[in-house]
Amino acid sequence: MFRKASCFGTHIKLNPELEEKNNISQDILEAIERYLKNTMDANELASFMKEMEQNPVLHQQVEETKILISGVKKAAKKNKLDEFHKDLTKHNMFNEQDESIFKLNFRTLSIAASILILVGGFWFFNRTPQNEKLFNQYFEPDRGLATTMSTTDNYNFEDAMLDYKNSKYDLAIKKWEVLLKNKQENDTLNYFLGSAQLANKNEIKAILYYTKVIENRESIFLNEAYYYLGLANLKANNINEAILNFKQNNSPKSEKIISELRN
Amino acid sequence: MQEKDTLTKNYSEQEELVKSIQNNDELLLKKLYQENYYKTEKYILKNSGTVAQAKDTYQEAFIAVWENVQNNKFNPKNSTALNGYIYTIAKNKWLDQLKSSYFKKTHKLDKYDHKLKNEPDTGFEENELEQDSKINKVVVQFKAIGKECQQLLTVFYYDNVPLKEIAAKLKLTEASTRNKKYRCLEKLRALVLTSN
Repeated sequence: MFRKASCFGTHIKLNPELEEKNNISQDILEAIERYLKNTMDANELASFMKEMEQNPVLHQQVEETKILISGVKKAAKKNKLDEFHKDLTKHNMFNEQDESIFKLNFRTLSIAASILILVGGFWFFNRTPQNEKLFNQYFEPDRGLATTMSTTDNYNFEDAMLDYKNSKYDLAIKKWEVLLKNKQENDTLNYFLGSAQLANKNEIKAILYYTKVIENRESIFLNEAYYYLGLANLKANNINEAILNFKQNNSPKSEKIISELRN
Repeated sequence: MQEKDTLTKNYSEQEELVKSIQNNDELLLKKLYQENYYKTEKYILKNSGTVAQAKDTYQEAFIAVWENVQNNKFNPKNSTALNGYIYTIAKNKWLDQLKSSYFKKTHKLDKYDHKLKNEPDTGFEENELEQDSKINKVVVQFKAIGKECQQLLTVFYYDNVPLKEIAAKLKLTEASTRNKKYRCLEKLRALVLTSN
């Protein structure tokens, strides 16, 4: 399949002709892309395949374009991962700073908790039913937004909101996720996707969505998102995170939960 | 709420997980990345690696898993399976690297010999390795094509944004955006061509 004289190899210096051969025109490149993406119709595909069979240069160009595109995708992925990585260190530093703000008794408790987790999760294992109980005691799904079904713009959003209010969480999630594709940063969508996931007993996903909401410091859902993020973390047994969230929410309810967690 | 049997529920969880990864769902990927990093770092540091090597190896492994899920080569049942898979691949990659640096130091001549004597490489694995190293050349040169081209190629090939939308954002016609994309890719091709 792979020709030894590939233009990506070291052979190129010995064979300057190759460079010219590999200068692809825009039309050919776009045809190759249609071929790789499987979007050619039957006629075009048939003639393209025939051409490829007869013309080794085209065949080679297809292979190389494939590699170029794979390389672009991989480079983009690498860039994404570097972003995630940067956040990783920032996130940790943030946690450390936060810890020092706490009062001594909480600090001691959280350190003790961390040690216990390290020892073998025994503490959490024992605590799980209690966390679950606390969650059930306090969790009440967000009541949702009023729907008017008037403007066509919001029709899809409100349609899903009705499902949400009727506890058809799976359906609401499906519809909102479609909308989210084009509005990844939208705090309203992220907030209600989180709420639907949490009500649907999927706290891990809820955590993802609520986290997205609190990244937007201006969001009108910021405060509520902290509260529900706290509950989601509580349910997921991330007690330290939960306490941080409840601290941020800073409501009487949150204070109560924190004090119960400390006991 | 609708009751679901366990099988359906597990199936839809699996389906959702795979779909999210195939669509480059950033939130999920970020969480996966961050959740699994330290475990790998710890392993590599314990096995004579540095923090920088840990990061490189982990990212290579993470991308391999990401691509395997996208190409349907791996179909994780749930996120626990996925976590295990990431760690295993990272570990194997690190062990491979340790082996190969040992190999290079001690068997350099043997290896060369072996290559000369053997018939041209036709093995499937050999081809895959060759392809990997070609792709990595592209990754290296991608840094050299400039910010504008990087962004354009990323939104087109990675984010899969339709050309029409990209054109609207750039305030260009669709035809000139298409041409711009073509020139960026050719720029990358030329750089890869002249690099060694």
